[in-house]
This record gives sequence, structure tokens and C-alpha cells, in this order.
Amino acid sequence: MSLIFLKLLGATAIEDKLQEGVPETIACLTLANIKIWVLTGDKLETAMNIGYSCNMLRDDMNEVFIISGHTMVEVRQELRMAKERIMGPGKDKFSSGLDMEKTELYSSDSVFEETIIAEYALIINGHSLAHALEADLEQILVDVACLCKTVICCRVTPLQKALVVELIKRHKRAVTLAIGDGANDVSMIKTAHIGVGISGQEGMQAVLASDYSFAQFRYLQRLLLVHGRWSYHRMCNFLCYFFYKNFAFTLVHFWYGFLCGFSAQTVYDQWFITLFNIVYTSLPVLAMGLFDQDVNEQYSLRYPNLYRPGQLNQLFNKRKFFTCTLQGVCTSFILFFIPYGAFMSAVRDDGAHISDQQAFAVTIATSLVIVVSAQIGLDTNYWTAVNHFFIWGSLAVYFAILFAMHSDGIFTIFPNQFPFIGTARNSLNQKIVWLVILLTTVVCIMPMVAVRFIKADLYPTHTDKVRLLQQASRRQGPQEQNFRRVRRTSSRRSAYAFAHQQGYGELITSGKNMKVPTASTSTYPLSSPARGNSVVKNSVVSGTTDAAETNSTGFRRESDQNQEVTVEDLEAR
Amino acid sequence: MYNFPGFIKQAPIIRKTDRADICLKVHTVSLSFLSEDIRMKNEGKSAQRPDNTAFTQQRLPAWQPILSAGIVIPGFLIIGLAFIGIGIGLFLTSQTIQVQEMDYTGVEKDSPCFRCTIPSNLNCTCEVTFSLSTLFTGPVFFYYGLSNYYQNFRRYGVSKDYNQLTGDTRYFKSRSPEEDCSPYSYDSNNNPIVPCGAIANSIFNDTFELYQIINGTKKQVPLDGRGISWWTDYNIKYRNPSPVNGSLAKAFDGTVKPINWPRPAYELDLTDPNNNGFLNQDFLVWMRRAALPQFRKLYRRITDGDYAAGLPAGNYSLTVHYNYPVLSFDGRKKVVFSNVSWMGGKNNFLGLAYLVVGSLCVVMSVVMLVVYAKFKFSDDDDA
Repeated sequence: MSLIFLKLLGATAIEDKLQEGVPETIACLTLANIKIWVLTGDKLETAMNIGYSCNMLRDDMNEVFIISGHTMVEVRQELRMAKERIMGPGKDKFSSGLDMEKTELYSSDSVFEETIIAEYALIINGHSLAHALEADLEQILVDVACLCKTVICCRVTPLQKALVVELIKRHKRAVTLAIGDGANDVSMIKTAHIGVGISGQEGMQAVLASDYSFAQFRYLQRLLLVHGRWSYHRMCNFLCYFFYKNFAFTLVHFWYGFLCGFSAQTVYDQWFITLFNIVYTSLPVLAMGLFDQDVNEQYSLRYPNLYRPGQLNQLFNKRKFFTCTLQGVCTSFILFFIPYGAFMSAVRDDGAHISDQQAFAVTIATSLVIVVSAQIGLDTNYWTAVNHFFIWGSLAVYFAILFAMHSDGIFTIFPNQFPFIGTARNSLNQKIVWLVILLTTVVCIMPMVAVRFIKADLYPTHTDKVRLLQQASRRQGPQEQNFRRVRRTSSRRSAYAFAHQQGYGELITSGKNMKVPTASTSTYPLSSPARGNSVVKNSVVSGTTDAAETNSTGFRRESDQNQEVTVEDLEAR
Repeated sequence: MYNFPGFIKQAPIIRKTDRADICLKVHTVSLSFLSEDIRMKNEGKSAQRPDNTAFTQQRLPAWQPILSAGIVIPGFLIIGLAFIGIGIGLFLTSQTIQVQEMDYTGVEKDSPCFRCTIPSNLNCTCEVTFSLSTLFTGPVFFYYGLSNYYQNFRRYGVSKDYNQLTGDTRYFKSRSPEEDCSPYSYDSNNNPIVPCGAIANSIFNDTFELYQIINGTKKQVPLDGRGISWWTDYNIKYRNPSPVNGSLAKAFDGTVKPINWPRPAYELDLTDPNNNGFLNQDFLVWMRRAALPQFRKLYRRITDGDYAAGLPAGNYSLTVHYNYPVLSFDGRKKVVFSNVSWMGGKNNFLGLAYLVVGSLCVVMSVVMLVVYAKFKFSDDDDA
């Protein structure tokens, strides 16, 4: 009423800085083809300023759409208008929500989105979001949001954060990652495929509910581009190798069936069958799965689009599976028929018998172990001391166990269990056996080497090129590296904002935000828009729909605990 | 599992009492949580930092090979040339090995052993004549070969009792728990068979005598049957039961011979007392099961007397005591005379395979060189 006759005593202010490295991280992840959305409980102006300060919103963007309608009709109108502005008038064929058109959209959406050259941003506040998340508007919301480069949702309640994540999970076949630091982010973290909690000033609730947690937002870059990528690469190589190894091992019996009257006579010694997967070949592939790095970490961070193969499911899909299976089948064929051809009329150099069952078994078993060890050697890109030890050690252990099991001593103790007495000595001292083993190894391995070399020469993938660069730079020695600096556009906007709009008490008391509590949100006694700057990552992946995407190992969802929502006014990040 | 800077292994508990200034739940001065920050950092350095070793931070020094042209193309070339060399060596060696193979099953009516194929003819002998045009250099090895004979059949292969064959007389009359000899375990009168099993029962029992025909008279070629099996088989794997009262035969009391054997185990070789029981060389050679349906097993060696240098050119006559029936399953029997070299018997396959693979490697290296050169130059053109 009257602000006269008052004496100004002072003023307070809260400085709410972003953590260091946030703009660079966001720029880097955008280069890695990861879509980044911001879901925050702050006011519109604060959210926009945060957007500008971390370079998500730029002055040179074509248009920034602000959806702030109060009713369903207004929101629908604003969304439609935004869509028309982006796609041009008349191209309204994506507006309906029919399933057929939906699948058409999703098969070509990434292509379509790439053709949108202009940059748009979408800012939607919580009240409008509540309307937009309704069943008949969610499709158009998803369409518009995915056409925009940046999406910022402000004044979002924790429940709405979870609903937005769920919306993306349902409509797009993408893997979602949610990162947040406060208790209000817990539902979002739990809903997303991968939940990341930032530990810090806001308490430990986000950390306890998340799959991964760290202290600073900028570590997300390392999590995804370095460790996530390595994990995917290792996992895929591991799987391929495992299928190959077991097919090569087992299908030899298939070929032998034709020559033993289909009587299920095993080619190998029983002990070899037992120990093959446990002792002789388990450790090298374990070492590869733990230590392998196709590109080292500096280059992983420097070239974010190395992340694309993981998003496109290129390293292990149906085709790759059939390829490695076929390789296993061919290897088993060679492993059997070369010794078969050699042993048909072979004798020892003293004239005695060598083409007996046991010497045949030892020859094929030795060839197999050497072939699969050579193959893991080819597959390993990063030979640490552990890898060397495991690979050479496995070969040494194979020969040690072979001679031990075929020795006199153990036969006298257990005559029934070790009938192969004397075989290793009598067969492996023959030159012809070693010539057979050498020939088999070379015939199995060389085509693979040739194919890989030619493929890397004719159709080098991005990873191949970066590896060459890495090798070249290592040869030249450490130099001054000019790290790419993210260009921070100087913004007219100041970092300070003033807001004097009415609050959102009406929204809360209207109950629009409250839905029937589901399991994931039942721990929330109240759904007030608590403060917190939360970011949702949306990586567009075509292919897998399940949450077991190879990027995320070690899912550990902590059990729901009673989480108090402490409305703290500290926004330390 | 991924340790990178900042990963907090255990949740640090922020005690509310430390932050008394927060309890006010009103605006606080940024100074207070700045100090909180510093405090946490100092505590965090010791308690919460993960291990910073090369192993845990994945910074182990490593060799990072890349399949580059400088390694692959010369590698293929070297391997190709080496394989061609080995292939030529194997092939030439194989060519120097002489082999004389004769099928004596008697399938055709005009073959010498046809009359022995009639089942009613027992103890039949037939004579196979052959001639050698050049000296067959010694030592000459005399094999018998069987075709279409599945010694690698699984059920056949498990049909024996290891405990018996190591001379453990406890299992002569009773059976080991693991044995699988039936139906060759007991005969029709329920007597235990020693050695039991199908492998022992089916021992090859044709015998041969070799004569050289000189001026119409037959001169016997001495055949040496010592040491034709593996040393480990003879000395370790198979043991005779201890003789009872100095007699091996008594150790076999209470058991019967296998059904198809002409004589029991302790009388397998009437001329040489050391060659009886389970240590009979022919028995040992037979017990070493062949891996493939066509196989040959060593029968005798020709190393003695006039034939130490080999079989001279001339006419020979082989007398076969035909006992072993194979025609019922369409098998074939043959005898093979062969000499050996460092690579064993005659084996053209391996030599040819090495030659083929070697040439393929050389061809591949040329192809890869062309591809690499083309790619490199086209790349330079583009750049």
C-alpha cells in the first residue's frame, strides 16, 4: 500500500554459482550427440539465465519458445505454434498421435532432426508442463522438444521430473540418464535408465538413490565419454570373443560326428573339456574385459563423437553376432579337417602308431588353445603387464597341465581318471604334429588379420583414425597440446536476474501436480517445487529398448529409504 | 567399480549439528558454506579419495599395437615364403617315401583270398604275390590297414576295464564300478572274461608271413615284432597281473578268454614268453584305438638279417592266415609296406596344404600391398 515513510536498512542476496566446468561439459556432451534437458525448480528467469550462462541458450539462436499457458487449450496452442514455426507452415503431418505415423516418425526422426539446421530452444514451466504431460498433448510435446536443441523446464516438481523422464523413455527408444544433487531429484534419478547423483551440499539422498555418484558435474564427461565408452567396447569385444571361442571349441565334435558314426565320441580328453573354459581361456579374456582401451582417455575426451558407435549399437548387434559365430564355425572346421587330412595316414618317425584317438585329441586341443590365444591377442588393443601375464601364462599352464596329466605319476595314483598317459610325450615330440599345429594356427588366424587390416584401410572407422592419431602423437613425443576451448559467446545478458512475478501457490493447492502416488514417488510426502538445478540427459539410441544398455554396468539401486525433504535454501554447487 | 576423481566410495555423513547455522532455515551468508566447503575438502582428501594408483585409475603402462601396413604386409610375405619352403620340403620328403599297399579282403572272385571270405572256410590261408621294381630301402615297416572300421565309436571305446589292464586281479572276477564291458563281460556260462570289453574282443587276428621268391624258392623274410607299441603303453599303462607260483596262467584262474580269441591272454605268443598277457605287443597296438575309420597299425618291422638294408627288388609272396571277417560291415583289409622319414609316413596332404597356404599368403600380401598403396595414394590425392 504505501512504501513511503520506510527506511531502507539493507539488502541481501544469494550468489548461486554454477560448478566449474559445467558449460564445457555440456558442450562436450552435445558434441557426443547427447541431448541435454534441464529440469529445474527455479523460476523462469533464473532458469533462462542458467541456460545462458552454461551456453545452452545462445543469443544467436533462431527462436526461444516459452510455453507458459495456464489452460490446456493455451498450452496446446502454444505448442502447435512452436511446431509450425520450426517446421514451416503446412508440414503438419506429424501432429496426430496415430501409432502408424508414430513409427514412421521414429524411424526417420534422427534424420529429420538433423535436417533442422536452425537452432531452437523450448522453455516450459511447471504449470504448462502439467497440462502438456496429459495423454493427448504428450506426443506434440515430445515432437517439439526433440526438434529443439535445448529444452529447459522450469518450476518443475519432483514428480514432473520423473514424468518427463518417463515420457522420453516411452516415446523415444533412447537411453536416459538423470543427474541431480538434491532430494527433489531422487524420483527422476530412479526413473531414468542411469541415475547419477552429485554429492555435495544438498545432502546424500541423491547419492543413495543413484547408480553412480560423484562430486562435480563435470565428471559426467569422464563417466560417459571415457568409462562408459570403454565399458561398451570391452563388453562387446568380450561377448564376441566368448561366442567365437565356444563355437570353435564345440563344433569340432559336430564335424567329428560324421567320422565316428555319430556316436558322440568326444574329440578331446575329458579333462581338457573341463578345464578349457575355466583355466586355459578364462583369464586372458578377463584381462581384456578389465583393461582394454581402444583409445586413451585424453583422446576419448577430445573426440566426443567416438561415442556414437555405442549409441548406434554398432559394436555388438545381430550382424556382429552372426559374424563371430561364423568365424567360430569356420575355425572349428579348419581345426578338425587339417589334422584329419594329416592324420589319415600318419605314423611316427619310428614307424609306430600316431593316428590314434588320443594323439588326435592332443593335436586338436593344442591347436585350439593356441588359436584362441592368438585370437585374444589380436583382439586386445591395450597390452598391460597383466594381459601379457595372463595370455602367456595360460599357454604355459596349458602345457604344464597337459604334461602333468599325461605323466606316469598321476596315472599310477588314478589309473581310471587319466587314461591319456604318455600321449603328450609321444605325440608332441613328433615334428609332424607341430607342423600340423602350425598350419592350423596360421590358417585360422591369417584371414582374420587380413580382413581387419583391409577393413581398417578401406573403411576406417572413427575409432581407427583416432588410434592412428594417437600412435602418431605418441611417436612424436609429448608436445604442447592445444585443447579446444569451448567458445563462450559473450552474452548481453547479465548474470543477475530480477523476478517479481506472483508465486505458484495456486498451482500447488490446485492439486494439478498430485497424481495417484506410484511406487517410485511414494517416498515423497509433499511435492513442492524444491530448489535444485537438475539436468536430464537424453542420448538418442536407435535399437535397444531395454535398460540393460551396455553403457551402464553395476546398477545398484539403493532401497527406498525414508527421505526427508529438507527445504534448504542453500544452493551450493 | 569405475574409480575416477570424485567418486565417493562411502557416503560422508554431514552431521546436522555441524551446520548449526543452517537450522535457521533462512537466507544464510555464502561465507558459511564456503567454509563448510573447505572443511569437507580437507576431510575428503584423506577419507574419501579413491586409490590413485596406476592400476586402479587405469593408467597402467601398456603396449598398444596397431595392425599397420609395415607389420602385416611383410609378415604375410615372410610367412608365405616360409610355408612354401616347408611345403616343398614336406612334399619332396613325402615323394621319397615308398609305399606298397595291397588290399587282400577278397571281394572280387579272382582275388587270391576270395575263397577265405566264405564263412564256412575256417583256418583259411591265402597267398598274395607282389613284386618290387626297386630296392625298398629299410627299415621297412609292415602295417595292416582296415577301412570302414569305426574304432572311434564311443560305445566301443569305453568298453574296457582299466583296472584289469593294470593287472589288478581284484577286478578279474568282480567288476570295477566304472567298467562298461558288457556284453563282453561274461560269457554264456557266466564266467568272467579277462580282458573284458569290445576292444579286446575284436583284436585283429590275421597273421602274415613274408617270403621272397628267389629262383622259384621261397625265402622267409624275418619279421620283428618287438617294440611296435608305445614305450609308455608297454611299461606303464598296461601291467600283467603278478604271476602266481611263477606262472602267469595261474593268475588268470577262474576267468575265460574273450569270445573271439583263439587262445587266452597268457598264451597269446607261444614263442616269446615275455610277449604274453596284457603286454603282448599286438594287443597293445590294437588297444590304442584309432581316431578315424581308415587306419593302419604296425604289425612288424623288417630290420634283420639280409633285409636290414631293405627289401631288394624282386618277387614276393605274402601268406595270409585269414581269420578276421570284415565283409559283414563292408570293411576292407590291406597290408602296407612303408618306410619312414623325419615326418613319418607318406603324407602328401600336409606338403600340399603348406604349399597352398604359403602361396595364398604371398598372394594376400600382394593384394594388401595394392590396396594399401591405392588407398594411401588416393588419400594423398584427396588431401
